[in-house]
Amino acid sequence: MQHDNFPIPENELQRLAALRRYNILDTLPDHAFNDATKLVSYICGVPIAHISFIDESRQWFKSEIGIGLSEVPREISFCQYTIMESELVEINDTFLNERFKDDPNVTDGFKVRFYAGIPLTTPDGYNIGTLCAIDHVSKTLNENQRNALSIIAKHVIVQLELQTKNIELDKQKKIAEKAVFAKDSFLANMSHEIRTPLNSIIGFTDLLAQTNLDEVQSEYINNVQIAGENLLLIVNDILDLSKIESGNLTIDAEPFNLKKTLKHVYNLLKVKVQKDVEFNLYLDADLPEMVVGDQGRLNQILVNLIGNALKFTKEGEVTASVKKVDETESSYSLKFSVKDTGIGIQKSKLKTVFDRFTQAEETTTRTYGGTGLGLNIVKQLIELQQSEIHVKSELNRGSEFFFTLTYKKATQSQSTLKMPSKNDLGQLKILLCEDNVLNQKLVRSVMNNFGFELDTAVNGEEGIELLKANKYDLVLMDLQMPVKDGYQTTEFIRNEMNLDIPIIAMTAHSLVGEQERCFKVGMDAYVPKPFKQPALLQAIKTVMTKDTAAEKKRILDLSFLDEMACGDPDFRQEMINLFIEKIPHDIAQLEEAFKNENVLAVKMLAHNMKSSLDIFMLEDLSNCVAIIEEEASTGQISTEIFDKINILHCGIHETVKILKEL
Amino acid sequence: MRIILAEDNDILRKSLSFFLESKGFIVDQFSDGKDALDAIAVNNYDLILTDINMPGSSGMEITQHVRQSLNSDVPIIILTSSGVEQTELDSFDIGANEFIAKPVSPAVLLVRINKLLKSHLR
Repeated sequence: MQHDNFPIPENELQRLAALRRYNILDTLPDHAFNDATKLVSYICGVPIAHISFIDESRQWFKSEIGIGLSEVPREISFCQYTIMESELVEINDTFLNERFKDDPNVTDGFKVRFYAGIPLTTPDGYNIGTLCAIDHVSKTLNENQRNALSIIAKHVIVQLELQTKNIELDKQKKIAEKAVFAKDSFLANMSHEIRTPLNSIIGFTDLLAQTNLDEVQSEYINNVQIAGENLLLIVNDILDLSKIESGNLTIDAEPFNLKKTLKHVYNLLKVKVQKDVEFNLYLDADLPEMVVGDQGRLNQILVNLIGNALKFTKEGEVTASVKKVDETESSYSLKFSVKDTGIGIQKSKLKTVFDRFTQAEETTTRTYGGTGLGLNIVKQLIELQQSEIHVKSELNRGSEFFFTLTYKKATQSQSTLKMPSKNDLGQLKILLCEDNVLNQKLVRSVMNNFGFELDTAVNGEEGIELLKANKYDLVLMDLQMPVKDGYQTTEFIRNEMNLDIPIIAMTAHSLVGEQERCFKVGMDAYVPKPFKQPALLQAIKTVMTKDTAAEKKRILDLSFLDEMACGDPDFRQEMINLFIEKIPHDIAQLEEAFKNENVLAVKMLAHNMKSSLDIFMLEDLSNCVAIIEEEASTGQISTEIFDKINILHCGIHETVKILKEL
Repeated sequence: MRIILAEDNDILRKSLSFFLESKGFIVDQFSDGKDALDAIAVNNYDLILTDINMPGSSGMEITQHVRQSLNSDVPIIILTSSGVEQTELDSFDIGANEFIAKPVSPAVLLVRINKLLKSHLR
């Protein structure tokens, strides 16, 4: 392309490439640029000012005052000459300038008498546009004004760089999110794959240990049990860490009995004490009974710290103590301390002892075992509860780990926690839906131990058939099964068969959200695998004695539909039927599109669903699809979409259920 | 008064049609923009009510076609769930008379339709 009618910089091709890199041409107006243009006009006291970019054929105005055009042909612009320069071009009086005195923009058009233009130079040295001040009278800028122009020109380029970097950053963020999502899914699957067989190993070992064994056999079995438990601890550690990292680990705020929890930890660890070690638990006399917080995580922290102390102490004492250090109207601050007379930690290692995979000594792992994750998890769990852990230690003398947690006070009603009824549950008839043969056998043995009767279905479909043919008191539901999985089966039982039989989810999945989804599709309890017999029995007791108090239900507002229907009940029902028929189909398609990473389909489906949800005034769900649509517009599959689809799925099925009951 | 309604969401389209018919309008409804355009070419509508995102032709394309190719000044109302200001500006730019953000309030829609029809007939 050869232009004879305007001067072309010798690096024109590279210059155009540099310009295109910023994606600035034909973009919408932007405050930052408009402000800069105003500054030019104020500082130079001129009626016309602009920021423009020059491509192969035109001068395009990103921002302008007093021009009123979005672009002009390159050959008639003054700035075609300015981008040939490296500094400010100032023409004090165009009438006296040979090049411009007969220019149509001088004699007519914009009546340019004064022109000052400074090239916009990219960091790599290309003049991609100009910043200009123009007046209808002749003029001379003073030194300050000239300086100001070059400063503003630099800022314009900085602004451009910033915008480009922000876009790039955003792109990288999406990629990172996708990677985290992939990692989370991998871990969830890995946990399933490892925990399912581990479940069988631990369960059968438990059962085997209860049979008649000779001394040698007992010892072997005991060793297998310990190894199994250790393996489970490691898997759990890794999962916890991944949950903390992905921000998926939440801290519960449920009332629990503090003293009982502490005594439980003490009893649990008492068995691990070596013979020359004294293990004590000191509780302040005025410790509260009940507090509101995360019992499981407190357990985990203490078991970890005390477990460490016991492991590293050959003789002397290990002391766990809890003291109330502060009390306000609504909360208690409690100081927990674990002190030992063990091997201690070198001063130089004190800082890194909480780092991941770092134990105080390289040799520690070999001598004492462990994953090197424990203290890091403890530290993060304490930080998640808005506190921090401290350590004092002296080599060969011992260590003390301590931290202060603040728990809300339990209200009166919370303090009288309803204990699960101890009364005998009698002979329950239970249906198990589970595809794994080993797990089936394990559950059968455990149920027989409890004195319950058990029928087994190898998938959801078969489970539904059994439910139709027999009467059961309870369903134990695996989540991952062929033909119909646990969620689909539960939905069918709740929505199609309209049964309110208690359903307990049994799952090896460990990611947050799984549990919530179980409750949302209508399950009553959740037992993680590998399950402990007492935990399963507890869950069964809880659901069998559960209050039948009305559960919190979504309240539907059909006033919008009523307005549309103008009081016609038949039409209203017709639309409800259409919704019930259409929307589950929509969400299934949406899930399918998400699974196939078809971003465009996700966007379009979400868009279409919004109108349906709006008519039924499902504001929360409508917001969900709006977010899905917006996220999908960026062209990337994100964890945000995944979360929102889950919420949408639950909300829609809940709504459909209520609409069906109308 | 005869209105053409182009909207691809079944529930919204049927509801709006029912509502407008209850208010005495004759409503021809289409879920595909292309079908709507074909109907506009052969029928005389008093008002066009169209969504933006649709299979076939978009509401923008319908508006552009009506104004430029058919050279008609029939009132056009664009419905959209887009909260973007530019979409609204673009709608007016290509010749739409009204722009209503979803969710559409039936009462508001009715007022706007009546207002447009009144000023158009005058």
